[in-house]
Amino acid sequence: METARRTRKNRRQLLRSIWNCRLLYLMLIPVLAYYIIFKYIPMYGVTIAFKNYNIFRGVLGSEWCGFDVFRKIFDSENFWRSIRNTLILNFATLLAYFPLTIILSLMLNEVSHAGFKKMSQSILYLPHFVSWVVVAGIATNLFTQQGGTVNLILRSLGADPIPFLSDNKWWIITYVICNVWKEVGWGTIIYLAALSGVDETLYEAAYLDGATKFQRLVHITLPSIKSVIVVMLILHLSKMMTIGLDAPLLLGNDKVMSVSQVISTYVYRLGIENAKFSEATAIGLFQSVVNVIILLAADKFTRMIGEEGII
Amino acid sequence: MSYNIYRYGRKKTITIGSVILYIILTITVFICLYPFLNVLAYSLSGYNAVLSGKVTFYPIDFNLSAYKQILGRTQIWVSMRTTVLVTLMGTATSLVLTIFASYALSRNYLPGRGFFTGLILFTMYFSGGIIPTFLVVKGLGLFDTLGALFIPQAVNVFNFIVMRTFFRELPKSLEEAAKIDGASEMQVLMRVVLPLSLPIIATISLFYAVGYWNSYFDALLYIQDPDKYTLQLRLRSLLFGEELNVSGRTNLEGIGSEVMSQSLKMATVAVSTIPIIVVYPWLQKYFVKGVMIGSIKG
Repeated sequence: METARRTRKNRRQLLRSIWNCRLLYLMLIPVLAYYIIFKYIPMYGVTIAFKNYNIFRGVLGSEWCGFDVFRKIFDSENFWRSIRNTLILNFATLLAYFPLTIILSLMLNEVSHAGFKKMSQSILYLPHFVSWVVVAGIATNLFTQQGGTVNLILRSLGADPIPFLSDNKWWIITYVICNVWKEVGWGTIIYLAALSGVDETLYEAAYLDGATKFQRLVHITLPSIKSVIVVMLILHLSKMMTIGLDAPLLLGNDKVMSVSQVISTYVYRLGIENAKFSEATAIGLFQSVVNVIILLAADKFTRMIGEEGII
Repeated sequence: MSYNIYRYGRKKTITIGSVILYIILTITVFICLYPFLNVLAYSLSGYNAVLSGKVTFYPIDFNLSAYKQILGRTQIWVSMRTTVLVTLMGTATSLVLTIFASYALSRNYLPGRGFFTGLILFTMYFSGGIIPTFLVVKGLGLFDTLGALFIPQAVNVFNFIVMRTFFRELPKSLEEAAKIDGASEMQVLMRVVLPLSLPIIATISLFYAVGYWNSYFDALLYIQDPDKYTLQLRLRSLLFGEELNVSGRTNLEGIGSEVMSQSLKMATVAVSTIPIIVVYPWLQKYFVKGVMIGSIKG
């Protein structure tokens, strides 16, 4: 009797607070509509990965075919190659980008001249705001074998021209260079913020104890940003199966297709250009599922080593 | 080598270490800046100087003919107009939706906010992918319209998180005072919260605007009519012609893919990047905080 009255009272209270928030719900409606239409309906749309998609019958009307599409993909050499290329490009980029970002942050942190620091940061952040089309255009101008600026400079120094864009190995390096150029400055923001939070008195004490600059770096600075470094590394690693489409599509060309074809460009070419909707969707779904698994594992791992989770 | 107190004493002593540091940083900054200088050098150089491969660091035979040529093309102006239109409409739509969502979901007294927030955050980790989204956009009749360039990507989860965090951290006392005076939820948002949030609004607007300005894949996916090409798509077809378009998507072939001189290409690159470089310094002081808030979660 008592509990029944209480639940009734609670329900009335809840209804009243919902009514009081009606304006807030009204604000939410357009956003929720957006997410349902453009994110959740496509999530239902992944069912075409298990269907024999027929353009005239649409997503709902096409016939189910179980895992046929997946069997076809897993048998395809191009699919495995695009996964391999995605991993190669991502790891190569991370290998260069990650340490360079930290080193650059540490260097910027040591700068005592405020004007110089601010100026450097402004310039270093700028490439982040440039589009990939522009980056690819500039890269072509710089790295073409015939008449590219870098090769002109190499030639004037008496060196042989380098096929930056047409040789598989060199193309990967060029891809990494472009990515690092675009994002390294931007990546320093998070470390610089962590560095500015380091307790000044620690440095003072270490100095008075006779620690050298290098010792202070190793024993104070690095340990105090260690957790940021670890979390950032795990975040990056959890994104290894995801790759933007712009960079490989725009920098790539016919000659280096065997290393520039990644998951996203493969999905695009298969799905949009060749209208193989079911297969392209299946690859996308495979990628999403792998991503979620990696992410959950990464989150668990971060919690295990005593950091805050990343989800 | 002498040591000064690390960031403690204000006295400046010049050490070998700090000289090396400044030299390395100057070189890094120069490398970062060089591609832009290269664009300027090419676009401002004479035709023959470029062709004979003399241009590397600065313009040779300075002239503006590449810019005159590129700005004389109606194509560029049409694309520029499209991009400006999409950027303006897109940024406005995104901003309103993001503000509404983050304001509503930053109120801790809103029943069900956990569920709705979860609904939004989940899309960060799992998505239907390119093809199902493409089919939805097509099904809605947005294909080959400018709406397809901003409606399907109107809300960015990262920007939503940044803004919600900011709203949450605003002092509650002002709002409460306004509510006691009888202000409605809408009035609290418009008169109290938004005026206090100008820095974050500037940041988020910058992120959205740059995103729309630079986006090229959406236009590649959804736009067929050459008159509706955005600047980035036009730029791509001018820069790379058919060369990139290996698999041959019919609508891209043969449009503006004539051979262009390097100067002309680089002038086009400059023209499409200058708007960003012009607004960038004004907004730079704001966005660092935005990045900070966002990178903590997500």
